[in-house]
Amino acid sequence: MKRRAALRPIAANGGAWLISVMFVFPFAWMLSSAFRSTRQILSAPLRIWPESFDLSGFAAIADAGGLPILRSLLNSLLITGLSAVLAVGISALGAYAMARRPRALAFRALRAGFLLTIMYPYVLLLIPVYIVMYRIGLLGGYVGIILFLAQGPVQIFLFEQFFRTLPAEVLEAAMLDGASEFAILVRVVLPMARPVVATVAIITFLLNWSQWFPVLVISSTPDTYTLPVALLNLNGELGVNFQGIMAMAVVTTIPPVLLFLAAHRQVIQGMTEGAVKG
Amino acid sequence: MRLARFRQESVFYVFALPFMALTVVFGLWPIALSLQTSFTASASALQPHPVYVGLANYASILTDPDFLESLWRTMRYTAVAVIANIGFALLYALLLDSAALRRTRVLHTLAVFLPIVTPEVAGYVVWRWLYDRSFGAVNAALHLVGLPAFGGVASAGTVLPAVVIAELWAHAGFYVVIFLANLAITDRSLSEAAAIDGATPLQRLVHVVLPQLRPAITVNLVYALIQFLKTFTVVVVMTKGGPNRATNFVSYDAYRMFDLGDYGVATAMATVLFAMVILIGLGAYRLTARAA
Repeated sequence: MKRRAALRPIAANGGAWLISVMFVFPFAWMLSSAFRSTRQILSAPLRIWPESFDLSGFAAIADAGGLPILRSLLNSLLITGLSAVLAVGISALGAYAMARRPRALAFRALRAGFLLTIMYPYVLLLIPVYIVMYRIGLLGGYVGIILFLAQGPVQIFLFEQFFRTLPAEVLEAAMLDGASEFAILVRVVLPMARPVVATVAIITFLLNWSQWFPVLVISSTPDTYTLPVALLNLNGELGVNFQGIMAMAVVTTIPPVLLFLAAHRQVIQGMTEGAVKG
Repeated sequence: MRLARFRQESVFYVFALPFMALTVVFGLWPIALSLQTSFTASASALQPHPVYVGLANYASILTDPDFLESLWRTMRYTAVAVIANIGFALLYALLLDSAALRRTRVLHTLAVFLPIVTPEVAGYVVWRWLYDRSFGAVNAALHLVGLPAFGGVASAGTVLPAVVIAELWAHAGFYVVIFLANLAITDRSLSEAAAIDGATPLQRLVHVVLPQLRPAITVNLVYALIQFLKTFTVVVVMTKGGPNRATNFVSYDAYRMFDLGDYGVATAMATVLFAMVILIGLGAYRLTARAA
């Protein structure tokens, strides 16, 4: 009996390590395959450390499908970066207004409309969004993609949760001093909101970097493709260049993974916040 | 005086204006348009004066055995994927929460969460090749330990487990983290007291720990149901609905119709899936919340 109790921590650790290795293995395999020639992979599919670092996969995707990878990388950075900045600004302002005037009829209607929107199957929302983009003349350009991605599913909730905790006395003191609402927002609220702004910005960047379907639907040529869309395109091509596909997957995956590892506490906390309490 | 008050109030509407505009233009308008389109003939859907056909699109999909089969397939898949994800996440979170793993908990949490921040397309592309007969590591590993080969996404008999495994890898980390956050605020003294009273570990789990995990179970269940009812990306990347329509779920079916220019039918399918998501999501929420 005692011996079994002593073995339990060892079994728990062993189980957790096994599962962690299984979750990380696809990353290691992807990274390794990007540097191994097709012949090497076929002869030893399980090998992780490359025999030699063969860069031909990266050379092949430099001009994949007529769309140089540099173009998709810049598209990803531009579209993700700008849409994240817009999403943070727009949802922070919206959430602040709704938190300060929770009973206003217009805001209650807005909240209901927003909830309906995020309940609608995203993939199927894109069908009519295509028609909307066509009608307002934003089909095929960066503006349409960036504006669509500036509408986020979780940002408004994260901000609202924060703004509801603002101490009323601080706001009242500023109002008694005769400050305008705009001045209160800029000089009192925003400095306090800095941490939540950073968290929402990081989460939005991660979410939007992964987006592929809106980009594909709103684009009319590959010129506006981001990395995930270019990767999907490459993967669907005839005449498989396995090593090139893995190299492209590596380039697509590394930026968000590095960002996450640098800010994992904020990301995980932000994503779980409210889910349990609310 | 009244003017000053009006100006004071109107500033909040100015703040909310951009958010309102996005919600209307890229949310409510498309949804209304989708509903409207579902009542029109596909060929005329994008014209300035579409031809209305009443419920004809709904009648045609609801009498189409292929669509009903994809509806049924979507529900079965959702059930399996939800149980696999939530079950794994609950057990793994309980393991990570145990005292033996206090020092390495963060490391293991990072490992299981990493796929959540990985672009879905990249993750599924890698899984597609992991299952490959000649390139893939999965069959190489099975061969190594003397097990028979796994058909992966290439055969209709194994494609569903193959997709469920890839989706578990891609999504379970989120559910694990939600359970861990809930476990961190449970009252451990209750479990200890039950142990002193002679309750077995299983009794403690069922009667003491699980009731305290109700918030996380509710959130995860509703979230997972909605997520898997809408299963799409994994199908586009790994299976294209095949082999032999085995992974032709409603989202993908609707997307194919849209791609073929059959807008009326595609949007009718969208409405049906939307109704399913709302009914099943709300039902699960009320069920788990009311049982409290």
